[in-house]
Amino acid sequence: MTNQTPLEFNKSGAEQPTPASAGEAPGHNFAGQQVAVSVNNLNLYYGATQALHDVSLRIPEKQVTAFIGPSGCGKSTLLRCFNRLNDLIDICRIDGEILLNGRDIYADGVEVAELRREVGIVFQKPNPFPKSIYENVAYGLRIQGMNKRRQLDETVEWALRGAALWDEVRERLHDSAFGLSGGQQQRLVIARAIAVQPKFILLDEPCSALDPISTLKVEELINELKSQYTIIMVTHNMQQAARVSDYTAFMYMGELIEFGDTDQVFTKPRLKKTEDYITGRYG
Amino acid sequence: MKKLTKWIADGTPWVWLNAAAVSASILLVVGLLILIGARGMGHFWPLPVTKIIYQQADESQVMLAGQIREQEQITARRLRESGVEVAQGSEHVRRYLLKVGNRDINGEDFRWLLEPSIISTSKPYSMVVFERQEWGVFIGLLIGVREDGKLLESADVWGEFQRNLGRVNQLRDEIEDLEKGSIGGVNYRLERLRLKQRGLEMDGSDTVQALAGIASERDELQQEYVRLEGQLGNLYSQLQRDAVVVTTASGRELELPMATIVDAYRPNQMDLADKIGYFFHNAWKFVADDPREANTEGGIFPAIFGTVLMVLLMSVFVTPLGVVAAVYLKEYAHQGLFTRFIRIAVNNLAGVPSIVYGVFGLGFFVYTLGGSIDQLFFREALPAPTFGTGGLFWAALTMALLTLPVVIVSTEEGLSRIPRSIREGSLALGATKWETLWRTVLPMASPGIMTGLILAVARAAGEVAPLMLVGVVKLAPALPLDANAPFLHLERKFMHLGFHIYDVGFQSPNVEAARPLVYATALLLVIVIVLLNLVAIQVRNRLSERYRGLET
Repeated sequence: MTNQTPLEFNKSGAEQPTPASAGEAPGHNFAGQQVAVSVNNLNLYYGATQALHDVSLRIPEKQVTAFIGPSGCGKSTLLRCFNRLNDLIDICRIDGEILLNGRDIYADGVEVAELRREVGIVFQKPNPFPKSIYENVAYGLRIQGMNKRRQLDETVEWALRGAALWDEVRERLHDSAFGLSGGQQQRLVIARAIAVQPKFILLDEPCSALDPISTLKVEELINELKSQYTIIMVTHNMQQAARVSDYTAFMYMGELIEFGDTDQVFTKPRLKKTEDYITGRYG
Repeated sequence: MKKLTKWIADGTPWVWLNAAAVSASILLVVGLLILIGARGMGHFWPLPVTKIIYQQADESQVMLAGQIREQEQITARRLRESGVEVAQGSEHVRRYLLKVGNRDINGEDFRWLLEPSIISTSKPYSMVVFERQEWGVFIGLLIGVREDGKLLESADVWGEFQRNLGRVNQLRDEIEDLEKGSIGGVNYRLERLRLKQRGLEMDGSDTVQALAGIASERDELQQEYVRLEGQLGNLYSQLQRDAVVVTTASGRELELPMATIVDAYRPNQMDLADKIGYFFHNAWKFVADDPREANTEGGIFPAIFGTVLMVLLMSVFVTPLGVVAAVYLKEYAHQGLFTRFIRIAVNNLAGVPSIVYGVFGLGFFVYTLGGSIDQLFFREALPAPTFGTGGLFWAALTMALLTLPVVIVSTEEGLSRIPRSIREGSLALGATKWETLWRTVLPMASPGIMTGLILAVARAAGEVAPLMLVGVVKLAPALPLDANAPFLHLERKFMHLGFHIYDVGFQSPNVEAARPLVYATALLLVIVIVLLNLVAIQVRNRLSERYRGLET
């Protein structure tokens, strides 16, 4: 999982036929950046309904990639494929391929728990555990078997600093996490995710339950975190996508319509559908 | 008309109906508690002794003394039909139930008295009620105290008597300590030794050496026993030393050995404070003492102890089993037709009559499992059963089975209340399903588990029918917890408050004497259940406080 495949060597990037609906996404040039995620011909079904139609895309490493699109277009579903959270839904079925740093995460013999350790996720509503602030951050560490007090203390502090929360909670580490505000809780959840040192952070509408000031703080945090992590976020808020992300994927009705540099997607969308959505004609 | 339809459409009648239903329920509960409370507490109140000159049916007059326990109005016609002459013109006659005591003299300790036949009543100052080891109470006058055969010349007879009673009670305590403690321990060890020898003989390893070892150990114990028995005999002879001289209301003089007297009071001399003090004294004795005289006198401590211990053991069995079953059903099992079928079966188990569980417990636990355990581990004690007969262990297990559905259902409910986002949060951090369950889901479901346990405790503590089959007895010779290793004797039979109520109320030879005990025991059973529940509810509230705020 540590070896990082450069774009040039990614066979699927060159050989795979470009689906009409995906526009030019697979062939996009990331200006020398490495590909962290590649999705090839992904179809996903909930029972008889198909939620994702033949999705293919490349996501660059250590950048922020945003998925935008109207409700129910499949952006959260796609996001949850990256750490196999969809496995929890009995009727969910997948075909196609997802490579994270070159490794097929749906292959036989993949340890799901290990995969999820490398792919942190933050949900729409903050979901701290009913424990203290400290124990929330230490949760993933304890599961990995870390139980030396000093090591835990150091890592918790490091993670809380990383999530820009340390100064606000250092005095009350052992109070319940429920005592924090919504924005603080969301940053706590981010701290919890980075404490286990993942390579990817998935954000599923991380700011939709937050007030503007908290949103701003989380956005600043995302900006800081992208130097170390590959961040994929789903958002409803197009201004946010424009502000925060480097790359944007527009999805509609389970299909990937357009993928590209954020500036390009927002200023010169290649497709009419994208333009209609961005200019607010539907969605 | 329009007003009426509007009134109905408003839903006002519904509100009234609901409120009425709530009030009716509250009234029923409060009424029940008041009835049980008043009757049960009344048992401990020192009633005054009334001296009555009474004209009997054959025109002769008798002198009676006793406590008026009840009074009621009955129709004159009913009396005439039963052959009692009642003055013309009176429709109703009042009659009194007088507790006269002195069963050894009169043959009966309660009498119904008709008001018209009562010639005179008085409340003599010095009437004494003696509580005795047997024959119920003695009501009469204290004349003197005979110490070592000779009458004490003292002005303060009551004081002398009190002093003597203190001495006797102390001796009795010593005797009980000796009998239940040291001698009980020696007997227990002797029995163990006998079984050990028997076991060796059965294995064929009864070498001369081993037998000699046992014999010497036994000799030691025998010597100890003889020594203790000597002490005991000494104490008994001291106990027998004194007696009191008393007279009945009708003037008959007799002597009561001090050894038979447990307690005494002079209700006609007591002021309110004395009576309240004596009330609590009595209530405490009821809670803390062993029963006497086929359970109609004395306390019910072993029954309280047995009930609480059985319920605690049951909780220990049912909680892990129910939680594990619920976790499997909810979290791991494939949710299909089969799981639904199992769930229906579990719910139906809750509706199976409890006596059926009793029969199952007797047939499977006691005879089959217990019998096998005896065959395997307690062969030397056979044919006397050890686990092959009803006992604490089997009773607790049967009760655990009976309450299992409740725990499973409420645990499942607790599990389904946990938000998906919390599970996903844990899984997303790389926790396996098991780690998620153990570290997050189960602690958060613990209030639900506690709810199940509360219901289980309330049900198990109040159950009687199945317990009669699997280990509860009228009178257990020893508590299931004592100072002899292994301390907790799971195979022993035990007493239970619910069964005690049934036994005292319906199996007692002395119905009138037992009736207040039924209420007092019922009250105590309610109190025990309420206390057990309060503890559990306290724990649950603390848990839900800890996991509060999940909805944010």
